[in-house]
Amino acid sequence: MPFINLLTEQVIRVPLASNNKAAVLRELVQLLKDAGKIDDFEATLKAVREREDKQSTGLEKGIAVPHGKTAAVTSLVAAIGISKAGIDFIAMDGKPTHLFFLLIAPPNLPGPHVAALAEIAQLSRSHDLCARLINANDAKEALKILRKE
Amino acid sequence: MNNPIRKILINIDGTEQSIVAAQYAICLARLCSAELSACYIVNIKALNELVRTGIFLKEEQEENERELETDADNYLRYVHELGMAKGISIIKIRGMGSPNQEIAKLIRERSIDLLVISELSRIGSRRDEFYDENERAMRSSPCSVLVVKNAEYVTHLYESLV
Repeated sequence: MPFINLLTEQVIRVPLASNNKAAVLRELVQLLKDAGKIDDFEATLKAVREREDKQSTGLEKGIAVPHGKTAAVTSLVAAIGISKAGIDFIAMDGKPTHLFFLLIAPPNLPGPHVAALAEIAQLSRSHDLCARLINANDAKEALKILRKE
Repeated sequence: MNNPIRKILINIDGTEQSIVAAQYAICLARLCSAELSACYIVNIKALNELVRTGIFLKEEQEENERELETDADNYLRYVHELGMAKGISIIKIRGMGSPNQEIAKLIRERSIDLLVISELSRIGSRRDEFYDENERAMRSSPCSVLVVKNAEYVTHLYESLV
């Protein structure tokens, strides 16, 4: 399933209220919980934190791809957070992160999990798309940008 | 006229939809007395890309590669059982690399007449047309491609095959 098909306005937060890494992860997982995509908030957050503890998923050029695997989900779920101001996510280039793509997968779906992450990697290569997303005013606009791309 | 479908290849990609495609291909193989092969290509290209971009750590790449290999074996075993249940022997092929390129290679090497793939995902953006692996396999296939739709009907077709 393409990454875009995992997204609805309910799982896109523009702008993020958080101003630090730990809070961003909580806010994104809470989005999934509020949208009814997950039941177990703590287990999901733990999976993401454990991965971040090994090494930050903050990439270059203001993008981060926090992800994790947990039996708390039965299918792939995703959320997006956008911060115009930027948040210190311990990124590879040391710069603030503006775009957060969260992906959670169950342990038994390696194919779709890898495919969705590969798609996010492709997305993140489009500087124009990322710039337009960062400038989106709300979730509706962000989703429209992603669908038009 | 000779039978135009003598060798069929099914692309199994770890989705339920690809199992439905396999059921259809089994029915078709019976009808055409065709040789049936099933391939699962472990997407090494995507894993390498994820490490290159920094999304995956090396240990995640290795872990996912192992999981994908196990997934491939499990799915191919299941598809083989589906075939055997209907008297069709399926050749299992586990490959590694870029799925669409490896599938095109298999088609050429094995003189496949027909590639059977699962229903294409709903296109959520123009980008999907270029990056969806099933879509790419369809576009790069050197032989004709059959896209299997209507899971309910196909499952009924498969189950009623005696």
